Amino acid sequence: MKKYQLNKQQLSSFIDHLKEQGTVYAPHKKGDASFSFAKVVESDSVILEYNRTLNSVKKYFLPPREQLLSYSKTNNSYQKGVIEKEKKIFLGVHSYDMKAVLKLDYNFTEGNPEENYLLRRRKSYFIGVSFIPDEYHFSQSVGIPVHDTDGFDIYLEKNDVGYTVKIITEKGEKLIKGFNGLNDALDISSSDIQFQNRLKYNYNRLPEVFEQSWNAAVWEEVAKRCVGCGTCNLVCPTCYCFDVEDNMDLSLQNGTRDRSWDGCMLNGFAAVAGGENFRKSLADRQRHRIFRKFRYITYLTGEPWCVGCGRCTAYCTAGISIVEIVNKLCDEYEQKYLNRPVEQSGLNLEGL
Amino acid sequence: MSIAISDIKTQELYSPDISEITAIKRFTEKEKWFEIKLPGGRSLGHQPGQFVQVSLFGAGEAPISVTSSPTKKGGFELCVREVGMLTKIFHNLKVGSTIGIRGPYGKGFDVESYKGKDVLIIGGGIGIVPLRSLINYVIDNRKDYGRLIILYGAKTPDEFLYPDELKQWEKSKDIEYHVTVDQGTPEWKGNTGVITTLIPGLDLDLSNTITAVVGPPIMYKFVLMSLKTKRIPDENIYLSLERRMKCGVGKCGHCQINHSYVCQDGPVYHYPELKHLQEAI
Repeated sequence: MKKYQLNKQQLSSFIDHLKEQGTVYAPHKKGDASFSFAKVVESDSVILEYNRTLNSVKKYFLPPREQLLSYSKTNNSYQKGVIEKEKKIFLGVHSYDMKAVLKLDYNFTEGNPEENYLLRRRKSYFIGVSFIPDEYHFSQSVGIPVHDTDGFDIYLEKNDVGYTVKIITEKGEKLIKGFNGLNDALDISSSDIQFQNRLKYNYNRLPEVFEQSWNAAVWEEVAKRCVGCGTCNLVCPTCYCFDVEDNMDLSLQNGTRDRSWDGCMLNGFAAVAGGENFRKSLADRQRHRIFRKFRYITYLTGEPWCVGCGRCTAYCTAGISIVEIVNKLCDEYEQKYLNRPVEQSGLNLEGL
Repeated sequence: MSIAISDIKTQELYSPDISEITAIKRFTEKEKWFEIKLPGGRSLGHQPGQFVQVSLFGAGEAPISVTSSPTKKGGFELCVREVGMLTKIFHNLKVGSTIGIRGPYGKGFDVESYKGKDVLIIGGGIGIVPLRSLINYVIDNRKDYGRLIILYGAKTPDEFLYPDELKQWEKSKDIEYHVTVDQGTPEWKGNTGVITTLIPGLDLDLSNTITAVVGPPIMYKFVLMSLKTKRIPDENIYLSLERRMKCGVGKCGHCQINHSYVCQDGPVYHYPELKHLQEAI
């Protein structure tokens, strides 16, 4: 792997160089406390030191709302929606969000490979950046260290004077071609970045816990606080469920068939015509959400489908923590099945 | 996990085929039957038990079971209960109207593996709709199968579907046909009682009888209990589940039961697979 040094002063010209090769998307400040991926207009406005963006880059492959078809009722005909195929360069992606994209690749290719997702996804380049985990990140516990470069074409690791630039793929090599702002790599070793927040068990032990967790007490406990707003679904980088609905224009003759993000935490998600709802209670729906991250797809792929970004917890309107839920499941599992004394786990997990 | 996404052939999943309604019959106040011709008159190529996504521009899409047998030549058939906006609009369509069709989707009844066996059909209410596809398939391939036993239950006598065919099934010496209604009327001369009341009296070759069950969620619990009491092995039971579906191709998440997508692994499940799924029945 080739390594270079990119000094802070050169960052802006590096971004300018990228912009010549495709549309660049990178984190920007949004309001006082939030960050958001957006198209780079001014290279100076890009922020590479951030804790997390409100939404992951998922929104560029599975847009929050997209037109599948436009139709005319007059002659019952339709046209497919236009899928933009521009070359996209994502700059400043954290390792857990990259892993989430690789997981979505599985979901959208398994069985029936979906054109809409794949056409958007194919022409994309990823430039990762290191980050300092805050109180919500726990990606290490699901097997994704800060410096995990899987999926990246280039990885930027922060150092005192800028970034160590690691060229991971040939695509990455092409991206830097012609840019003369890179220096020889400094002689510094990769830093070992620690997480404050973590799951009680590492991800590879969780399947045994989840096998016993269907009737756990925590589902009812969480349901007491949960308001079923679905924020956790919307901000999750590996949630991809959607709704499809037809919208008519004012002529009542033409309209569009649109798909939009949906959430399994919403009441009607599993309801069928005639009134039956297969997950009526909030406890059922919370369990479904968490099982989707740690058991259902895991059962098929062997991987957790949670990437430890901490978004569902950081943005929960009711203060529900996914780490707390999983750790309580671990506690209950130990109590019931391993007969071990239990240390109460909460958000503060120092020393585990 | 890394998938070489550039090598994968993509599929256009959401484009319906504009198809024509060629015949309509009203069965009951709520249920109508439609015959549908695909573009160019091509055959749907389905298995009994599979479904299509019906698309009505302005109303959206809904999964609907195919009710005709693949052995039937020409168009395929749907039977639709009016329960919401989409089905209400569907009911108002006329012969010659067009609708969108995607599919067929999902797994149907594994008719090949039932060959040489007796087939017991248990249908409750509109559960008979997908089962009729299987029944007619067995009738059209009669020599490949053993006994054909049909149990059909409806809430009241005026809720039975396919009146002409029911008469034929009743008359046929080749079919053992039993019906019941939950609530009779003064004119009703047949059985009264829930569908499970028909099960104990059956004389079955237990190890050689395939049982296909379709009905409302509540029916499954009781029918499965009766079948257990009757000592029908779980391996010989198949049932079809209803779920909400927005895509039909294993993406939208609405029909998910644990790790299984009903639109991919179902709607017809082999009961031993289903037993281990929570929230299924």
